[in-house]
Amino acid sequence: MTSLPTDMDLEEELKTLTKTVEVSTENEQGPEQVPEKTTTLQAVLQVLRKYNLKETEELLKKEAKVGVDGEPGQGGDSEVSNVLSTYKSEGNPELYEDAYIDLKKFVDGSLDAYKHELGMILYPVFVHMYLELVYNNHEDQAIKLMKKFSKEQEDYYQTDLQKLAQVTKKEHMKGNEITDTFKSNEFIIRMSRDTLATLKRHLQEKKQSIILNIIQEHLYFDMYEGVARTKQQIDAVAGSIIGEATRADNKTKVYYGMPKEPDYQYTAVDDDEEGEAGEGDKPKKKKPKKEPLFGKKTKSDPNAPPTDRLPLPDLKDNDKMEKVKALREASKRVTLGPETLPSICCYTLLNAEGKVICSEISDDSSILAVGFSNSNIKLWSLLPQKLKGMKSAEQLQDIDHDAEDVWARIIDERNVDTTRVLYGHSGPVYRLSFSPDRSLLLSCSEDATVRLWSLLTWTCLVAYKGHVYPVWDVRFSPHGYYFATASHDKTARLWTTDHHQPLRIFAGHFSDVDRVLFHPNSNYVATGSSDRTVRLWDCITGHHVRVMTGHKSPIHALAFSVEGRFLASAGADTRILMWDLAHGHLLAELNSHTAPVHCLAFSRDGNILASGSLDCSTKLWDFTKLSEEVSIEDVNVSHNPEIRNNTESYLLRSYATKNSPLNHIVFSRRNVLLAICTYDSSI
Amino acid sequence: MTDPEPPQNSSIPLESVKVVAESIGISNLTDDAAKVLADDISYRLRLIIQDATKFMHHSKRQKLTCDDVDNALKVKNIEPLYGFKASDHIPFRYASGGGRELFFTEEKEVDLSELVSGPPVKLPLEVHLRAHWLCIDGVQPTIPENPPPVSKDVQKLEAIDPITKLNKTSKEKSDTSGKPTIGKFHKLRNVETVHVKQLATHELSVEQQLYYKEITEACVGSDESRRAEALQSLASDPGLHEMLPRMCTFIGEGVKVNVVQHNLALLIYLMRMVKALLDNPSLYLEKYLHELIPSVATCIVSKQLCMRPEMDNHWALRDFAARLMSQICKNFNTSTNNIQTRITRMFASAINNERTHCASLYGALEGLSELGSEVIKVFVLPKVKMISDRMEALNNPGNSPDKIASVHVKHLLTKVLPPLLKTIRPTPDNLDDYRNDYGMSLGTSLHSAVLKARISSTGSTIPVSQSSIIQSGGNEIILPHQPSRTIMVGGIPRPQSQNVVTQGNQQKYVIVTSRPPPSPSPSQVSQNQTKQVFVTSQQSVKMDDHEL
Repeated sequence: MTSLPTDMDLEEELKTLTKTVEVSTENEQGPEQVPEKTTTLQAVLQVLRKYNLKETEELLKKEAKVGVDGEPGQGGDSEVSNVLSTYKSEGNPELYEDAYIDLKKFVDGSLDAYKHELGMILYPVFVHMYLELVYNNHEDQAIKLMKKFSKEQEDYYQTDLQKLAQVTKKEHMKGNEITDTFKSNEFIIRMSRDTLATLKRHLQEKKQSIILNIIQEHLYFDMYEGVARTKQQIDAVAGSIIGEATRADNKTKVYYGMPKEPDYQYTAVDDDEEGEAGEGDKPKKKKPKKEPLFGKKTKSDPNAPPTDRLPLPDLKDNDKMEKVKALREASKRVTLGPETLPSICCYTLLNAEGKVICSEISDDSSILAVGFSNSNIKLWSLLPQKLKGMKSAEQLQDIDHDAEDVWARIIDERNVDTTRVLYGHSGPVYRLSFSPDRSLLLSCSEDATVRLWSLLTWTCLVAYKGHVYPVWDVRFSPHGYYFATASHDKTARLWTTDHHQPLRIFAGHFSDVDRVLFHPNSNYVATGSSDRTVRLWDCITGHHVRVMTGHKSPIHALAFSVEGRFLASAGADTRILMWDLAHGHLLAELNSHTAPVHCLAFSRDGNILASGSLDCSTKLWDFTKLSEEVSIEDVNVSHNPEIRNNTESYLLRSYATKNSPLNHIVFSRRNVLLAICTYDSSI
Repeated sequence: MTDPEPPQNSSIPLESVKVVAESIGISNLTDDAAKVLADDISYRLRLIIQDATKFMHHSKRQKLTCDDVDNALKVKNIEPLYGFKASDHIPFRYASGGGRELFFTEEKEVDLSELVSGPPVKLPLEVHLRAHWLCIDGVQPTIPENPPPVSKDVQKLEAIDPITKLNKTSKEKSDTSGKPTIGKFHKLRNVETVHVKQLATHELSVEQQLYYKEITEACVGSDESRRAEALQSLASDPGLHEMLPRMCTFIGEGVKVNVVQHNLALLIYLMRMVKALLDNPSLYLEKYLHELIPSVATCIVSKQLCMRPEMDNHWALRDFAARLMSQICKNFNTSTNNIQTRITRMFASAINNERTHCASLYGALEGLSELGSEVIKVFVLPKVKMISDRMEALNNPGNSPDKIASVHVKHLLTKVLPPLLKTIRPTPDNLDDYRNDYGMSLGTSLHSAVLKARISSTGSTIPVSQSSIIQSGGNEIILPHQPSRTIMVGGIPRPQSQNVVTQGNQQKYVIVTSRPPPSPSPSQVSQNQTKQVFVTSQQSVKMDDHEL
């Protein structure tokens, strides 16, 4: 290997390199703006001195409380000249092209081991060069640079480059999402220590001020010890709008385990027995069956969050009944595997081209809800039972509140229908979510509101107004009460049904938050965004605890594995990625669909992952095999395991529908896969 | 971005900006100003489209609609353009004039009073929910709700290029997972067998065997309503691919047997089966044509198809089979198999032969006439005189079946020829010319038919060709004129046909099959009083039979 300078030296150098200098170029226009960094101020002062603007200089010094020029030391001076060199190159925009070619030559000529890691800096350097040119009104050079080099960049950056290429004028940069993101954030690059040293040496030798500046200002190197990564490894996690996740991002411990199911099930059974003598014998019969089913859960999971970590609502009698029902169903379910594949029941929506946006099936597979582009929500009963309504307020007053059968009494037997329509939104309905007890429905819409509907009165109860832009996704927590939303305004929010204000705002994504999903233990929320990252947020602190990069286009589907450790995500790039939440590693990449994947579902026993796509097919994946292979391997925080992309070995089956893109898939309690698709005659 | 083109290439042209400026009263917009505006507008439009794609994605679509753009405008706090609800592509019109070139969308003026007084607009259809099994325990049932297990494109590919199938099966051996397997057989087999030669398995499941039995029984049984159901199933069910070889063999054998026994009804039923299979959108029959074409051809040109030729309407069967043949030619003719050429040649040689039986002659004529006007022009027209003379000769003695046949032939010719004659003959229609060219009685009737056709065509601007619309049991089959499909060039088949004549003055057809045909029963062939030459890849079998 190459001879290295002593560790101490290197460390220091790295520090100076990674140190960022925020330069707000707007300072040039007038000194009345208060710069944040003294170096910038010094630079401005130097300019003022150069043009002999004594009074302004004095004023600025006074206002910013910066001392006389003697004050900054030797190092400060060099930094000042460094900053000013940006302005110098401004006068000669032709240099950019040469500088980029130089950098490319260096990358191409470097040792094979470092080549690919070094190659990562090309894209951000290129982007910032372009933006600098555009900012300084060198439109022609900018376009020339873009034309000449944009095709050489990685495929997964091409969409962003297309967006950037549209920005050719300084005025365009204002308010443009992507340029703002690049301007105000550092592009994160993970690099091995050796590679970084190589880069550092090169930059020192060359003294390329343009590149040096860009690297100092806009790039952040997340250094790690160990061997440099291969091209494949780099590509697997690249693709996010602003580089990879840093190691520090994924250091926090995540309680991904499932807490021990509290005793309510047993008490619920007891309640049942005490409460209703008639039904008493049924749970008794079931009891022996149930215990082996939940035997493994009696051991407490070391990774589970403490039960009091997130306050959960107390269970009402109704909820307990529902739990018992679910358990009874679960005892009848088939354990799936490669040899015992599920049955798929497909609900096709006819005459629905372009009208149906989202659909949802309640947990007990009794109700189907569909959100339409004409802002309606329509519900179908999937059982012979009809959708029952509650009695009117006057009639309800006559009912004895303490009666045992109060739930049966409040139902108006004449007020029944097989379908119901809910009117209230004023824009396309993008997502629906049933509460676990099936009495409430949440919907979110383009009209920026989230609405809560009662499935007893079939009316709207609350309109939650907090987002100011279209709300893309809404999800109830698995325990009810809490819900999370994702919006075009780049935030995800955590709410409870009884507050009209959000409890937490999860901000950090650089683009639309497209999908949100509660972790099965309700303590975390996962979000998928158009900035091509998946993040995991802690509901308690509101901070993000995992940032996972690797998607190459917006994310449209998320699913947690049953035991809570793994997260599957899929999106417009047609691939399904599997993440390990313990360390935030990418585990596998399943690439078989040919159109955006919009739905993912794990089977109830956690053995099979199902995916549905706009390519009119649903595919079944062997998740047991994947998780077993992963668990063998020794993983730790810094070492990313091998990313599995041998799609064929995990793909079990693929089922095509007849010209019907998949809209939603979910496993029923008995492990029958329910798929909802819309027939499209134009395909 | 949905646009694969680099965005730099597309922008609003200066001309459009100027036109817009003029429309709001700014007439002297400079080029520079227009350029700045055009650049900025292009940029803003792209931003809006970018946002619109987000709405498209969230609506789980892959096609951008006006609604998406409206929503994107709303997000940008711009009032959307109301009233654009076209769900389909809106074509741009092009106009140029005064040195300017413009693209615009056409907006027709709508008369509101007409709209108000007119009948109410049809309501859009209610969204309807329908459930079916996409798969049962991992096996996809072949029901109409599911796509066919082997798509027509794949079947076609396999028929044309069998190597693809071999490649795929060898690949599938290592990876069974990707494809929906039809039965559990494949999977179990793969575990047990060590090395199996790559052969197509032709095992039918019990259900399929039952289906086959039911369908074939229903198709040739006596219950008409059951038959209709069975034919409907054959014409629409997606999962028949596996059973196709058996169906085709059934038809082929059935025709052979029933032609001998003069069982007209059964032959009709079998032809209806062929029709149903041809109509099935999920089947590609190319691989089975070697069985179907001889059967259909037999039903067209066989000398005798029924017990009482003088009474029974075997003409309808011939017509029906001829239409089937033309459908086959249309669907499956390629430059390599030359089906249409070979069929045409077969019919033509039958016509050329003077001793062809009248009924066979009728069939051959019908077969040719179904193949389009160009074929009629090249093959039928030169022979009309000869045929007419033959028919005249037949008219005199009291030979009843032949006389009926001659009437039918004449009727057919007067139906088929006039539209063609109308176009190729000089306008003053001289009765004597017709008689000279086409014989006494036929010439007369042709003359009057042509005159009639000319009169009717002058009345309407679009000439209605009588032959192009043929009634077939309530259905209208419209045969398109195929000037581009002239397959036969006059010079080529003639020497061949002369050969045939010199060989043995007997009717002859040449059927070329890709594999040796299942031994045709001699009695059947003898009925046709023909000499059949089967040219096969291995050997050529010649059979010469005499009349019973």
